[in-house]
Amino acid sequence: MEEAKNVTAKPSHEDIGTTPGAVPQEAVASKSTAAGDASAAPVARDTRNTGPGRLLIAVYAVFAISATARAGYQILTKFSEAPLAYVLSAFAAVVYVVATVSLAKSGRTWFKVSVAAVLVELVGVLVVGALSVFDSVNFPHETVWSLFGRGYAFIPLLLPVLGLIWLYRRRPAPKRT
Amino acid sequence: MDAYFYIIMVVGLVSTVICLTAGILKKAPNDTTILSVAAVELSLLVYLVGSIVRVAAGEPIAGEPWEFWGYLLTALLLPVAAVYWAILERTRWSNFVLAAVGVTALVMAARMNQIWY
Repeated sequence: MEEAKNVTAKPSHEDIGTTPGAVPQEAVASKSTAAGDASAAPVARDTRNTGPGRLLIAVYAVFAISATARAGYQILTKFSEAPLAYVLSAFAAVVYVVATVSLAKSGRTWFKVSVAAVLVELVGVLVVGALSVFDSVNFPHETVWSLFGRGYAFIPLLLPVLGLIWLYRRRPAPKRT
Repeated sequence: MDAYFYIIMVVGLVSTVICLTAGILKKAPNDTTILSVAAVELSLLVYLVGSIVRVAAGEPIAGEPWEFWGYLLTALLLPVAAVYWAILERTRWSNFVLAAVGVTALVMAARMNQIWY
C-alpha cells in the first residue's frame, strides 16, 4: 500500500524534523542493520512517530488532554459521588498520557511501553465497557470507557486496535547477537 | 447554540473537509490546508474576544466559568500544535492530523456552549 512508500520516504523528513530522540534512534537502527535486517529502512525503522503514526499520536494526545481534564474535574468537584468511576477516569487518563508519550518516542524500550499501554487501554475499554452495560448500578457515572466509549464516538474502542496494528507494523527488528 | 458555535461549526467542518481531501489526494500540508486551520484558530479567537466582552459586560456563565475558559484555551492551543506537528513532517498524514482540528474544535465549541447556557 501507499503506506510502505511513505515509510521508505521517511528518512529525509526525519532529518529536517528536530526529533529529540534522534540520537538513540540512530544507534538502535544501526544495531539492527548490523544484525542483518536488510529489509528494514535503516534510520526510521525503530520509530513509530512518522506517517500514520503521527495521526495516531495526535488523536492519542487529544484523548490524553481531554481525559486528564475530565478526570481532574470529576475528582476535584464530585469525587465522593462515585469514587470508583472517577478513579477509573484518572487511570484512563494516565494510560492515554503514557501511550501518547511512548508512541512519540523511538527505540525498543518505548516500543514495549507503547504495547503495554495500548493493551491496557484495550482491556480497559472492553472491561469497563462491559461492566457499564451489564452492571450499570455500580457504573452509572461516565468515564471515557463507559459503554465502549460511546460518548466519544467509539474512538476509545477503535484507537487501541489501530494502535496495535501500527505497533505490529513498526515493531523493532528481532535482536540477534 | 449561539452564533460563535455556528461560525466554528462551519469553519471547522470546511477545514476538516479541505484537509481530509488533501490527505486522500496524497498531498503534503500546503498553504490551503494550513490556512484553513488558521481560519479555525481565528474563529476561536473571535469566540475568545466575544466571551471576554460578554463577561466584562456582566453576562453570567451558567456553568463553571473555569471549565469554560479551560475548554476555550485548550481549543486555542490545538490548531497551533497541529500546524507545528504538521510542519515537522510534511507528508499526507499530517493533513489528517490537521483535519482532526476542525472536528475537535466543533465538539469543544458545542461543549463550551453547553457550559455557558
